[in-house]
Amino acid sequence: MLYRVMDASELPRLIDAFMEKYEVVAPVKSGRSFAFEPVSSFDEIVLDYPTTLTSLKKYILPPRETLFEFNVEDADVTDYTLRIRPRVLFGAHACDINALNNLDLVFEDARYPDPYYEAHRAATMVVGINCSPAGSCFCHLLDADEVRSGYDLFLQDLGGRYLVSIGSVEAANILEAACDLREATDEDRREFRRLTRERQEAFSNDIPDIQEIPMLMDAFHKDAFWAELGERCLSCTACSAVCPTCYCFDIADVLDPDGKTGRRERILDACTSPQFALVTGGHNFRETARDRVRHRMYHKLNGFNSKHGRYLCVGCGRCVRACKADISPIEVLRFFERKGAEDA
Amino acid sequence: MSGTDETPKVVFVGLASCFGCQINITNVEKHLMDVLGQVDMRYWQLTSSDPMPDSFDVAVIEGAVTTEEAKRTVRALREGADAVITIGACAATSGIPGMSTEDHAADLAAVYGEQVPDAAGAGAIAPCAVKDVIEVDFEVPCCPIDPYDFVEVLQHALYGSNIYRRSSTLCGECKNNERGCFYGRETLCLGLVTRSGCGARCPNLGRPCNGCAGLSPDANVPQARRVAERAGVGAEALGRALRMFNQRPCADEEA
Amino acid sequence: MPDAQTVHVAGLADSAQVQAGNALMMANPYRPWPARITSITRLTATEKLFEFRLVDERIREAFHHEPGQFVEVSIFGVGEAPISISGSPTKSGFIELCVRRAGEFTQRLHEMQCGDIVGIRGPYGRPFPYEDMKGHDILLVAGGLGIAPLRSLINNIHDERSEFGNVTIIYGSRNPSEVMFRDQFEMWRHRKDFNLILTVDEPDDTWDGEVGLVTAPFAGLEVDAGNTYGAVCGPPVMYRFVVEEMRKKGISYDHIYMSFERHMKCGMGKCGHCQIGHQYCCIDGPVFNYWEAKNIQGSM
Repeated sequence: MLYRVMDASELPRLIDAFMEKYEVVAPVKSGRSFAFEPVSSFDEIVLDYPTTLTSLKKYILPPRETLFEFNVEDADVTDYTLRIRPRVLFGAHACDINALNNLDLVFEDARYPDPYYEAHRAATMVVGINCSPAGSCFCHLLDADEVRSGYDLFLQDLGGRYLVSIGSVEAANILEAACDLREATDEDRREFRRLTRERQEAFSNDIPDIQEIPMLMDAFHKDAFWAELGERCLSCTACSAVCPTCYCFDIADVLDPDGKTGRRERILDACTSPQFALVTGGHNFRETARDRVRHRMYHKLNGFNSKHGRYLCVGCGRCVRACKADISPIEVLRFFERKGAEDA
Repeated sequence: MSGTDETPKVVFVGLASCFGCQINITNVEKHLMDVLGQVDMRYWQLTSSDPMPDSFDVAVIEGAVTTEEAKRTVRALREGADAVITIGACAATSGIPGMSTEDHAADLAAVYGEQVPDAAGAGAIAPCAVKDVIEVDFEVPCCPIDPYDFVEVLQHALYGSNIYRRSSTLCGECKNNERGCFYGRETLCLGLVTRSGCGARCPNLGRPCNGCAGLSPDANVPQARRVAERAGVGAEALGRALRMFNQRPCADEEA
Repeated sequence: MPDAQTVHVAGLADSAQVQAGNALMMANPYRPWPARITSITRLTATEKLFEFRLVDERIREAFHHEPGQFVEVSIFGVGEAPISISGSPTKSGFIELCVRRAGEFTQRLHEMQCGDIVGIRGPYGRPFPYEDMKGHDILLVAGGLGIAPLRSLINNIHDERSEFGNVTIIYGSRNPSEVMFRDQFEMWRHRKDFNLILTVDEPDDTWDGEVGLVTAPFAGLEVDAGNTYGAVCGPPVMYRFVVEEMRKKGISYDHIYMSFERHMKCGMGKCGHCQIGHQYCCIDGPVFNYWEAKNIQGSM
């Protein structure tokens, strides 16, 4: 990885340079929270935002996307040209970049690469920025607090200056043309290490650090704990909507008003939605909220691991705040902690 | 449809309601002829005084059942139609007319005195939803309906579709709009228990959900009461708010 | 902000120049290809056997399936549905699907006529280990519509019969009128090279087969356990009982195969609807061996 240092006052010039060729999406204030939205000037961007309501997923895997258009009478596809706006996703935290990397495993590095996802991802630059943990952050417990790939630039604030990791030639060209850069010094590196340690110590100690989570997910699969969560679940699917790694979807045909033509859409779905595992004929393989909540957690904390060697959950904490029933991976970790204490 | 090549015959009937849902359908002027081109519109009370025909394939009903006469009407519609579609909250849950279901006799007396005039509806009964009287095949929810939802449901009835109606509640759609939660602002919102599908339109405009899409069959009302209590809104307020559109027995605030 | 620039995704575009069907199919794996209905056979009151032929020659040549795989069938405007392939790979150029009328999609399919066109993409899924099964005895158990995917295997074995040892087929239905492919099986009942056991729960006056559950015939069955592959497909409740019977006969966990039913919406290991535990029924299955199934939370 190539590292350079730039003065903090140069940052608006970088944003301006991006804006010449890209739509820049960045964290902005939205109501009482923060959101990733297109910005038209550097001043709108909140660099030290804690977290956003929803993730960057919407720019790569939109809630609704047309796969193709069709003609009913001819029974054939008529058009499937995807138009995509080139974008810079500016100000992504490590957890969110790790989340995109997890989605890559499903949609790009898979037996069936997904052309729509690939097109969005290829037209999108990712610029990360360091963060300090909010109270609901637990990325460090799921190996997602640092990110080593999947971004074009990553900015580490060293106080008045940024240590920039440069991940792509496209970004390097824009950065070098727009900003004055210098080599990192020993003092820069010392400051980087100091800030990294400071961040590691800032994570909440209230969330237990559990080893062997996948094994425990299997061991306690039949525990009454899941029924308790199921009884609380509102079946609202807010968890999946805000989750940066929930990617499940439905496929549906939507006719135009004249009924002669239409389009096939991919609509993001959620395994916590009651009909998700319903099959033709009426059998529902996950009939109860207990089964659905457990399945979601199982996939986040075990299922994805057994396929890809890492947690699907990146510990961003969005579901912790979105769920009105206090159901989140943190509750699962606390449950394992209690079980461990009982055994001891 | 019945498997014939004939254009499906459609009738529109309005019961106790403001007729706003039917009006809303006429509001999609740009596409109205495209939509009507797929059907043979035999009867539409709102637009023509021609009498109701004997034979039809699809019956569209707006409004709650509030009289014996209306009961007979919907039974006749069920008898004649392959598919019955209800539009709007009044038809689906008894909606606004349903607010008087519980103390109906007292409400009538309060308005009309001892003698209820026939003009107020011959054989007035406690208001109920269409599905309380007959089996309903398709429902276009909300108050008023989204006319595009109606087009989609009509096409579903005409051509078939493997789209199923989700019973998940509203918060997921609301999050997709990047909206914070009313409960964080000590404001009651019925999105916790209301069936999704509308795209959380009201919260997106800054107004809490009033439940017009109806209580989800998978609604977790006890948990919603706990949420309301904890947020300082109060469980009773949640129960009261639910009564506006959810008079049906499932809206059990005591649960 | 810059003007709304857009990128056209070339990889998605159809191209008359592309000759390789595989490349065409992979360019956009969500794109269904037109297929014409070439034959419709009524099997029971609720099931029909459809035969399709892909219209585009490039796609037809590239389409190869193995027993146990499925396709996604499109009726544009109505939607898409996963349907297991009932025909043998030896019958190339045609795709046979056995379809029960159970929902709006299958209702519409049942209303279609020869010559009508649907969309097909696939095939998808991990098939039965057909090549590994060669040289072994075969014990197949089907319940109800479970015969649909197993028929592909049965017909493939039939067409290459000399490659296999003893072949036993146990096929259970609720009643005689629900027995599918009855003509084919009636003919086979007199063949020495297939031990075919048809059984029903509720017999009528005409029924001269067995009566009872598909597990009942196991009592009198002699199995060369070390040399036998078992395969099971049927309603969810059936699996546990049948695989246990096979275990009692001594067949190894990894020689007992079963095909699971879930709603595979994308068929490509993404949409999540067919997930069982950590596995995707559409790409990791639908065929799993018993050992694998035991290691999947919620499989049976």
